[in-house]
Amino acid sequence: MSSHTESMTKRSLIATIADEDSVTGLLLAGVGQVSTEVGKETNFLTVIPEKTTVEQIEEAFDRFTSTRDDIAILLINQHLADLIRFKVDSYTNAFPAILEIPSKDHPYDPSKDSILKKVRRLFGE
Amino acid sequence: MEGLFFNVNYGYVEGVVRGYKSGLLSSNQYVNLTQCDNLEDLKLQLSSTDYGNFLSTYSGVLSTSVIQENLSKKLYQQFQYLKANSSGKLTKFLDYISYGYMIDNVSLMITGTLHERDRSEILSKCHPLGWFDTLPTLSIATDIESLYNTVLIDTPLAPFFKNCLTAEDLDDLNIEIIRNRLYKNYLESFVEFITTEFTNPDQEIMLRLLNFEADKRVINISLNSLNNPDLTVENKLSLLPNYGKLYPTYHGELSQVDDFEQLKLIVENVPEYKDIFTEGDSANGGAKNLEDWFYLLEMQFCKNAFTQQFTLSTVWAWLRSKEQEIRNVTWIAECIAQNQKNRIDNYISVY
Amino acid sequence: MSGAGNREQVFPTRMTLGLMKGKLKGAQQGHSLLKRKSEALTQRFRDITQRIDDAKKKMGRVMQIAAFSLAEVQYATGDNIGYQVQESVQKARFQVKTKQENVSGVYLPTFESHINEEINDFKFTGLGRGGQQVQKAKSVYTRAVETLVELASLQTAFIILDEVIKVTNRRVNAIEHVIIPRTENTISYINSELDELDREEFYRLKKVQEKKQEAVAAAELEEKEKRDAEAEKLALSESKDNSKPKTEEEIQKAVEKLDLKAQGEDDSDMLKENEDDVIF
Repeated sequence: MSSHTESMTKRSLIATIADEDSVTGLLLAGVGQVSTEVGKETNFLTVIPEKTTVEQIEEAFDRFTSTRDDIAILLINQHLADLIRFKVDSYTNAFPAILEIPSKDHPYDPSKDSILKKVRRLFGE
Repeated sequence: MEGLFFNVNYGYVEGVVRGYKSGLLSSNQYVNLTQCDNLEDLKLQLSSTDYGNFLSTYSGVLSTSVIQENLSKKLYQQFQYLKANSSGKLTKFLDYISYGYMIDNVSLMITGTLHERDRSEILSKCHPLGWFDTLPTLSIATDIESLYNTVLIDTPLAPFFKNCLTAEDLDDLNIEIIRNRLYKNYLESFVEFITTEFTNPDQEIMLRLLNFEADKRVINISLNSLNNPDLTVENKLSLLPNYGKLYPTYHGELSQVDDFEQLKLIVENVPEYKDIFTEGDSANGGAKNLEDWFYLLEMQFCKNAFTQQFTLSTVWAWLRSKEQEIRNVTWIAECIAQNQKNRIDNYISVY
Repeated sequence: MSGAGNREQVFPTRMTLGLMKGKLKGAQQGHSLLKRKSEALTQRFRDITQRIDDAKKKMGRVMQIAAFSLAEVQYATGDNIGYQVQESVQKARFQVKTKQENVSGVYLPTFESHINEEINDFKFTGLGRGGQQVQKAKSVYTRAVETLVELASLQTAFIILDEVIKVTNRRVNAIEHVIIPRTENTISYINSELDELDREEFYRLKKVQEKKQEAVAAAELEEKEKRDAEAEKLALSESKDNSKPKTEEEIQKAVEKLDLKAQGEDDSDMLKENEDDVIF
């Protein structure tokens, strides 16, 4: 438990995988961190339609969830999470927490959210 | 007399511009646009305007950015057409107009180069009106010194650059300061060009518009740099264009204000801007804010510019109106897409 | 007592019986404790689930408002500030702190927003145009991210609680459906084995007594014959000796005593068995 606690307090950043508008907004809020450390250059990935590949999103997802140890929360646009749905759904760790957020062009759809899906399953709704 | 010879050189272009002007969306058309329920409807409504079937080649889900992009494309085409048909001082005038966009592009390239970003990525973000052939070469520079030299040699912006910025500034100063300093120099030299080359009534109209542009910047910069300790008074002064209705009386004061009320008092000394803050007070959440006021004023100036005959200022007025129109349509599209219909009437329509 | 095969492999002795009884008691206590823990956690869990549901809906709205504020920025500045913003980023102004909360022995992490006001990477963004909208969008988005952080806390708690409840319920079920019946089976098995032994013992003792009585009877008969013979002899020669009848009485008494003792032992065993039956 103690090592767990230690790894938890180190996590203080909010990572983002989102489209340009969402990233811009979240960066305005001040979640962005840029550093020169290898593997930790940025904590956000801007997904440009038809330019960013699914592989890149997957890679960023893995980097933010497993490689980096300073991410506490990962925000991902729901329509992007849909692209790597198998990865998001099979992700069970508590840290970092994954949050599916709506984007400007894709309103929030609760029925797709992997956490809400679990909630509904549990209560048999 | 001047009317007699005006048409020899610029008659065609002015005619085209006036044609473009009558293609601007009217209040009625805006009302129709705001009635749309979704973006497809909007597209349909727009196809009955001057934009025609501008989106007919686009298949896929419509988004506001797609609409904006295609609206802008139309503007760029029209501007290029004007440029191709221009001659003499009109060409120079059009060049000056595009310098403004070049400043944006160059500062974009400088940021990108300093951060070692992918060149094609930055180039795709550049404003098409500010495009020039040597723009991509900027990213070849590897260090500050060579970047500075490249900017001086390869860009038309050299005159604005050389007197106000040194190579070290590129590295030390925030890119926004560089951009605004360039803009100040650009506006000043634009005014100079107008006063030497243009005759009345052209000169009068253009100076009015440029004065307004300058004051707009001055007020904006003063307002946005309140409570910003990083910007010294001297630095702030160096960003303010040296003309306009606020110059020179109020610039010194403006650069020293540190709260909104003081700023308001100073700006209200100029009769034209008396009303800017009265409703702008409720900028946060209010229906009209400062930016809206500026846009509205600008549009009125532009509308008036069309009342004079045989002027080149119509080009500027048309360009600004068109830009405002694109903003309006984008805004309406945004409101429709995001289901915020209560704010949809926030666009500015004067025609 | 079905599933007689489902019991622990033990020797049916009184000591194991005691052990088993202790084990049963422990299992029952553990069961009730775990059950209570699971109930407490489930209550919390339901509470959190409800809040997640609400928060997710709230997030939809908040993010929409935020996205709209960005549209305002775009309207005011005329161009997309996305690139500028991305390039200005230096250091995270908005960070989260992780805290722990103890719910029935489970540590639930909660995130807390932590905003470092000294860091502002966007001081100059929109300096010439739209700066106010930029600031507004900034504050709107800051609020939005705060909501997101709140939601992330709930969600993490949800995941951890879900896991812990699953484990606890598994334990409860294991105790309820495996360990307790198994221990009970073992106890009843030991009891039945012990009963069997007792019955054997009882039968054996009875047999012994029978034999003894036979022996006594035979001895008596012999004695009687002897006495008869002696009486005959006495009749022949009167008052020769007086000690003999006394000895005879003593023997009789001793036999009775033995009988009683055997009987007593049987009784106490019976008593024990009765007690056991009361327990189960």
